Amino acid sequence: MALLEIRDVNAGYGKGPDILKGLSLEVEAGKSYCIIGPNGAGKSTLLKVISGLLPPRSGEVVFRDVPFNGARPDQVLAAGICFVPQDQAVFPEMSVKENLTIGAYLERDRSVIKERMERVFELFPILAERASQDGGTMSGGQQQMLALGRALMIDPAVMMLDEPSLGLAPQIADQIFATIRQMEALGITIVMVEQNAVRGLELADWGVVLDLGIVRFEGPADTILDDPRIRELYLGKAVGSGGTE
Amino acid sequence: MTEIIQVVIFGLLLGGVYALFASGLTLAFGVMRIVNLAHAVFIVTAAYGAFFAWDELGIDPIVSILFLMPLFFILGVGVYLMFFIRIEGSPRYVEMTVLLTFGIAIMIEGILGWRFTGIFRQAKPGYLTDAFFWGDYLIPTGQAYAAGLSLVLLAGLWLFLRYTRTGYGIRATMQNRAAAQLVGVNVRRVSAISFGISAAFAGASGAFMSYLFPFFPFRHWQWIALLLALVVLGGMGSLKGAVVGALLLGVASSLVVDQIGPGWGPMAFYAALFGILLIRPQGLFGKELAV
Repeated sequence: MALLEIRDVNAGYGKGPDILKGLSLEVEAGKSYCIIGPNGAGKSTLLKVISGLLPPRSGEVVFRDVPFNGARPDQVLAAGICFVPQDQAVFPEMSVKENLTIGAYLERDRSVIKERMERVFELFPILAERASQDGGTMSGGQQQMLALGRALMIDPAVMMLDEPSLGLAPQIADQIFATIRQMEALGITIVMVEQNAVRGLELADWGVVLDLGIVRFEGPADTILDDPRIRELYLGKAVGSGGTE
Repeated sequence: MTEIIQVVIFGLLLGGVYALFASGLTLAFGVMRIVNLAHAVFIVTAAYGAFFAWDELGIDPIVSILFLMPLFFILGVGVYLMFFIRIEGSPRYVEMTVLLTFGIAIMIEGILGWRFTGIFRQAKPGYLTDAFFWGDYLIPTGQAYAAGLSLVLLAGLWLFLRYTRTGYGIRATMQNRAAAQLVGVNVRRVSAISFGISAAFAGASGAFMSYLFPFFPFRHWQWIALLLALVVLGGMGSLKGAVVGALLLGVASSLVVDQIGPGWGPMAFYAALFGILLIRPQGLFGKELAV
């Protein structure tokens, strides 16, 4: 039984055309998924629909057999799905500690909040060092770590990441990927969109190729990495030359 | 020198009250992106409440804060739910709030004029004409009460925003609406509460207006111009900015009134505003304007 199911979803922005065109996808517990595809394929839109930021025009999102019909983002989060968007994810005028505290906004038990914060500080020692610094004054990589740390504060079942390595220096991106691996080890189901498709697929168990608003292809991540047609169409030529970017 | 300090004290007393008047306006913009042109008419309405409570029931205007704040909180939440929820998703949301609140302001002004006529009102509690000396300086008692309590209320608001769960939610919504939703803040609920708080502060402001500044229905236009200037000066949506801006402009206009003449007060006010905005277009504590 799938943990999260997207059934025949159509979605778009304002009065514009559908970006997702009858998309269906099943996500199983404990696995990690990497969604790839060209610009405009609907990758970020899919994550926004699941998170409740963008209500679908038709179709439904089902989590643990319960359909989310137009659920608000806070309700989706309370159910156990959290979303770390691409940019501007932190609260710039709150300290690191406050940013983490508010990550557990839905949790009222202070001792639980404290416990989780200690776990986040173990994963990201840099955040412990800078606990009283304002979020907005940190570097891009540190802000991304803060966003991931904050997402962990809710103790989610599913963590959705939109381009976690976007705009980061390679070593910092390595650190982010290492953390994502640790989150997998914690048993969190990961659904990520990654522009660095090769890195993303190396990390994930399952690869999903989106194009023009539907799932074009899906399968074990290593199979997708090795499929010559997908490499040519979606992974770009750089793959053949070592897959650096 | 003594005389200058005396004038600065008058300015600070005035500025403290301005800060309270402007705080609700800046909160509404900061959290909900509502440019509330009806904020001053809310204050004038509350002033009528305080005036009639004093005139007919003998209730002290300051005591009337105790019922004006909760009453206006409920009114604010009601207004938010009735008018603003439905334009929430509009791509021209901020512009629409200007038109909508303009309409609300005219409507309330009309009702006030119809019920209470256009004559000037002013509550005259005993302390209105009292004053005491603090060292060499003269302090008007009524103004001292108003400025002191304004600062107490603002400090209360600050503590609320800083240390309560709802306060966290409000600040998160002010700083990053999308991220606030993603950490589980129900931004619609938070917005309704914030608009309620904004209106409650208008309620408290009205209690002070009722005895400090004679009022009639049409007067609110003059006030909203001044309050918007304060909020822009402080940096739209910044509470700290509104307080510092109010104190600065209160002092600036007192100094000009003293040195040049009473007719120049408002003029100094707007000249200072222009001057500061030429140097810092985003206001004293505002962020760079987002496009």
